[in-house]
Amino acid sequence: MGVVTPARPAAKARPARAATRVRHRDGWWAALFLAPQVIGLLAFLVFPLGFAVVLAFMKWDGLGEKSWAGFDNFAAQLSDPDFGTAVWNTVKLAFLTVPVGLALALLIALALNQVKGKTFYRVVYFLPVVTSSVAVAVMWQIILASGDYGVLNRTVYDWFGIALPNWLEDPGWVIVSIAVVTIWSSLGLNVVIFLAGLQTIPPALMEAARIDGAGPIRVFRSVTLPMISPTVFFSTVVAVISSFQAFDQIYVLVNPDHNDGARTIVYQIYDLGFQNFEFGMSSAAALILLVLTLLVTLVQFGVQKRFVHYDS
Amino acid sequence: MSFPISKKALAAAALALTATVTAACSGSGGGTTGGGASAGGKVTIRWSTWGSAEDVALYKGFNDDFMKRHPNVVLKMETVPKYEDYHPKLLTQLTSKTAPDVFFVGDDNVGKFVAAGVLSPLNDKLAGPDSKSKPEDFSEGIYGGAKKDGQIYGVPNDTNPEVLWYGKKALKEAGITEDPAELNAAGKWTMAKYLEMNAKLKAAGKAGSLFWNWYGSTYSVIGGFGGKVWDGGRFVATTDPKSRKALETLAKGYADKTFLSADVLPASNGANTQFLKGTAGFFAGGRWMIDVVKKGGDLPNYDIVPFPSETGQPIPGAVAASYLALNKDSKNAKEAFTFLTEFVSKEGQLLRLKGGGAVPSVKGAEQIVLEGNYPAHAQTLLDVRDTGFANYPEEVAVPGLTKEINDHLLKVWTGKVAFEQGMTELQAIVDGKIG
Repeated sequence: MGVVTPARPAAKARPARAATRVRHRDGWWAALFLAPQVIGLLAFLVFPLGFAVVLAFMKWDGLGEKSWAGFDNFAAQLSDPDFGTAVWNTVKLAFLTVPVGLALALLIALALNQVKGKTFYRVVYFLPVVTSSVAVAVMWQIILASGDYGVLNRTVYDWFGIALPNWLEDPGWVIVSIAVVTIWSSLGLNVVIFLAGLQTIPPALMEAARIDGAGPIRVFRSVTLPMISPTVFFSTVVAVISSFQAFDQIYVLVNPDHNDGARTIVYQIYDLGFQNFEFGMSSAAALILLVLTLLVTLVQFGVQKRFVHYDS
Repeated sequence: MSFPISKKALAAAALALTATVTAACSGSGGGTTGGGASAGGKVTIRWSTWGSAEDVALYKGFNDDFMKRHPNVVLKMETVPKYEDYHPKLLTQLTSKTAPDVFFVGDDNVGKFVAAGVLSPLNDKLAGPDSKSKPEDFSEGIYGGAKKDGQIYGVPNDTNPEVLWYGKKALKEAGITEDPAELNAAGKWTMAKYLEMNAKLKAAGKAGSLFWNWYGSTYSVIGGFGGKVWDGGRFVATTDPKSRKALETLAKGYADKTFLSADVLPASNGANTQFLKGTAGFFAGGRWMIDVVKKGGDLPNYDIVPFPSETGQPIPGAVAASYLALNKDSKNAKEAFTFLTEFVSKEGQLLRLKGGGAVPSVKGAEQIVLEGNYPAHAQTLLDVRDTGFANYPEEVAVPGLTKEINDHLLKVWTGKVAFEQGMTELQAIVDGKIG
């Protein structure tokens, strides 16, 4: 360019070096502050994920030698009827829990948004979320158990003489029972998120709509829903991923080992790895789940462009 | 905006947090990898087991007694309530080198730990002067997969021989006049007679027998038909004609409800309830069944008999066993072995099995079973223990194989898979696993 950089006076060089030293020192401090997060991420996410990917192509019982299996584990899982059952049950669970759970949470949030003492209700609805999932499962086990053992069945039979189904053991009902428990235990989280979303809507916008003659349904459809659509989208993504990862409550609530109706993908992963000691197969199933989750999430992100409004 | 805390202090806190989290996530520590002598010269021995609250209470009694006699040893017991949750945890601990010094291993899992080389060989130690029991104090058959090429890797803690419990009233209501235990004493307790009784119970609107879906029941029935399960390292249960006949009889019995699988019965009308109500004549189980029949309040109504045989002569029956094994990586092997040998010794078993539902594995502690005179033929439990077998070494050496066999058979029992197809698939599963 023909521009000649003028030679710096010697006196100016020292502050420049000092600035570099400060930048280096700040870099070290930054690294130190970041260390806990980075180490945690590497130890508990990157390394296990990498190890699982490697294991998916190996045959390993957890103690002995690992041997190369290529794509055998994937092929075995994709042709295993148990895996098919697990995928189907997981999809059913997602279809039951996500729309019903989110719609219910939105309804409750809309109601709470109108009342005084929101904090109290928020705490009440949030209690199941902070309760141990095992405790929740045991409580629902007591409610839903069959015959004389179950609070629900016994009460209904004693009062009305109606024999209700065997909620936790009948293959046709078990996934519905799991869905009810899942919705109940996650409702509070979605209510709180929706409530937060509702409170970000400028009151002037609602008021303007009402002045223009919009009724409550029109206000909800044309103002509230578009305004909280990013929140709905976020909750949907999280709910779908959570339903794909359902395990702990199901493990305690029913015994999927003896009830194919409750076998989900994560139970299949656990069963293969920690009951059958087929860690390669288990990792392959986990990777298939990862791909499924990614695909569904990508579809959600694709669809959201048409329904989610990010402008305020 | 300025902060009163310096960057150095914050960084130190961040590092301390990292160290704490890392340490917290590195396992329970101690024992195998770091359980050396603590302050005061005491040695900590970690040991793990599964068990109910009642079992744990019995073990605590043993622990307290042991620590009184060995003041230099601190025992740290780690328990898991459910059997099916125990081995996954143990496997994880062994893989990460944080397993206890001494641990229980189930008969369906011991083979793979032996094959993996994580258990300490015990022959020399058991023959040594510090051993409180010798290898021959335990019946050969109950070592199962804990013994390989003559080397012992786990000592039977206690056992539970699989026998048939029967309700005398239920049998009588079905028009059965002969007593199974008396037939057995006369050498006339045959499979044909047993199936005849089951048919009569079915005709009377009852179930013939209740079985838990595990190798103990299934292989005992196969034995009763004169069949084999494993032969020359090969799984022959689906190919040996007598074994296949046994499995087909079971499948047909489950289909027409002559037999009921306890695993799939609803909680409201489970196996215990049905047996106590007299809607099933026989219930295969171990000595632990005493607690079940006690709940019925009619103890004299129940007695036991071994599984029948083809000819009426005694045959080896299945024995559920668990083993106490020494971690090969234990840093306190001497103290760990002292604990192990005392735990499985006659004195140890007399102390910890009193009031429980198990049968001692060691010879000389028979009074545990006989002193209550219940059931009337309690000696049967000891006879089956002395002549019986723990799960086949060939089977338990393959991780997860027993479970896969059981899972697949349950599909056949519940009619999800047709018998012929089920047998073909079962053979393929086993062949695929053993390679």
